[in-house]
Amino acid sequence: MFEFAIAGISAPIFLLVLTGMTVGMVGGFIGVGGGYMVTPALIVFGFPGYMASGIDVMHIAGKSVVATIRHRQLGNIDWILGLTMVGGTMMGVEMGVRLLNYTKALGLSGIALLTGSVGIMIGLFLYTQIETHKAQKKINELTKAGKTVGRELSVSTLPLFFQNIALRPIVRCHTARIVISMWVIVIIGIATGVLAGFFGVGGGFIRVPALVYIAGATTHIAVGTDLLEIVVSGGYGALRQYMSGNVDMIAVWFMIIGAMFGAQFGSIATSFVRGPAIRYILSYSLVLATTGAFLRLFYMLTAQKYEFLNFFAVVFTLGEMIFLCLFIMTLVIFSVRHRHGKWVPGWIPSLVATP
Amino acid sequence: MAEASKTRGLIKFIVWLAIGVALSGYLWVEYYNGTLVSWYYYKTASDGWAINSHTFANASKDKPAILEIGNFKKIEGLQAVPVKKGDRLPTNTNGIIDKKTVLEGKRVTLEGNTLKVTVPTQIKEAKGFKFKDTFMHKGIETNPWGGAWSVAFILALGFSLGLMAEGFTDMCGLKLEKIKHYEGVH
Repeated sequence: MFEFAIAGISAPIFLLVLTGMTVGMVGGFIGVGGGYMVTPALIVFGFPGYMASGIDVMHIAGKSVVATIRHRQLGNIDWILGLTMVGGTMMGVEMGVRLLNYTKALGLSGIALLTGSVGIMIGLFLYTQIETHKAQKKINELTKAGKTVGRELSVSTLPLFFQNIALRPIVRCHTARIVISMWVIVIIGIATGVLAGFFGVGGGFIRVPALVYIAGATTHIAVGTDLLEIVVSGGYGALRQYMSGNVDMIAVWFMIIGAMFGAQFGSIATSFVRGPAIRYILSYSLVLATTGAFLRLFYMLTAQKYEFLNFFAVVFTLGEMIFLCLFIMTLVIFSVRHRHGKWVPGWIPSLVATP
Repeated sequence: MAEASKTRGLIKFIVWLAIGVALSGYLWVEYYNGTLVSWYYYKTASDGWAINSHTFANASKDKPAILEIGNFKKIEGLQAVPVKKGDRLPTNTNGIIDKKTVLEGKRVTLEGNTLKVTVPTQIKEAKGFKFKDTFMHKGIETNPWGGAWSVAFILALGFSLGLMAEGFTDMCGLKLEKIKHYEGVH
């Protein structure tokens, strides 16, 4: 246990480091900050709610730098795409925060937030699951036909529609091999920023699917580019949180130390898998987070009568982190086995990359 | 060739490890000498009394805590310092009891030269397992330069740890290649 002089509480260092590590691994792999997992965990460790979200945002900013450096080495970052989107994201975050304050003034924020997040997450989960399942099926068919399948295979036709919008200026993103109107990228930034600001999260779980299904980037590049985006938006969010008195820097330091190990593993793990594997994990993370949010929504709608709903919401959120880490580690282990010609389950070859 | 790469990795690892350790050491020095805490508990955001809420952790209506009012530079024990909005906070302050709360008289009352507090540091909420702070972190303003320093620090630390890890894998001979995103059918 460590006495946090600023937060004014005692909390176990080991759990802080472990949380940083698990969320770092998931974040490095699917390109999210992990705010929707960390904040409930910190509240369980005894941090006040406002401190939990402030510590979370500050640690996300630092952790994203660690993961971005590794993704840069792996060639997963499109700097033009990322930097074009930054302006839109910042504007969107500010609009989202104002929208949140407006709903707060109407006395609707709690229920509006949870209903909105449940709706968006279920929608994203279903679309990602259906599309990824189709992509995996196609990979299997192509492999059977004796063709070499690359890292990425997406069957979504949405990117073609958005790439055909001829609104100048047109941006050429060389790494992502996308030619697209700058306004489409800026609007993706604004839209995902509004959602991020409104829901009080980094927005990666919305931005990664948006980069894949709207801009048409590969999943690996979407993950790396999104982490670059989080460095900027997370840094801005961290400054705002500090000014609001929500940050204990020593707690952030412990989490960053754990995140350094986790983010390395998560980022490097992307080089072992194909795009659909990342999209699967992203969609499972969405549905697990949705279940937690749904339980909390039900708890609020029943006038906070059934305490077990709130308890299970927290348990679900913490369990989600462990489940996702185990899933990522399993994929890496099976990928290595597959490379060495050892037995792997039938669903693995279409998800892992062959050198 | 591979040996040269490992040596470069080793140098990279040592340099960035040293920078990471130096940054972390600097943070801990700033923490132990009280700078980080003074940046957080910097100024008052409202008129009232600066207090340390831990000193009345178990106060209740039956067992109220009596805080002695005075212009102390450091709050030690059951003491309260009158402050105005924008004043620098005395050492050991962790919250402000604002004038409105005292005027309401429900949780704190002014009795002569003392404040009678009838609530503890935290109150367990009627529903759930959350604890709500009574006065801790309330009515304080952080140092804006502290915010800028903290963000710059965390980005610099992330940068050094990221490059240190990159150096470590290079040193171990695990030089990671760029992913070939567009090979094969896609």
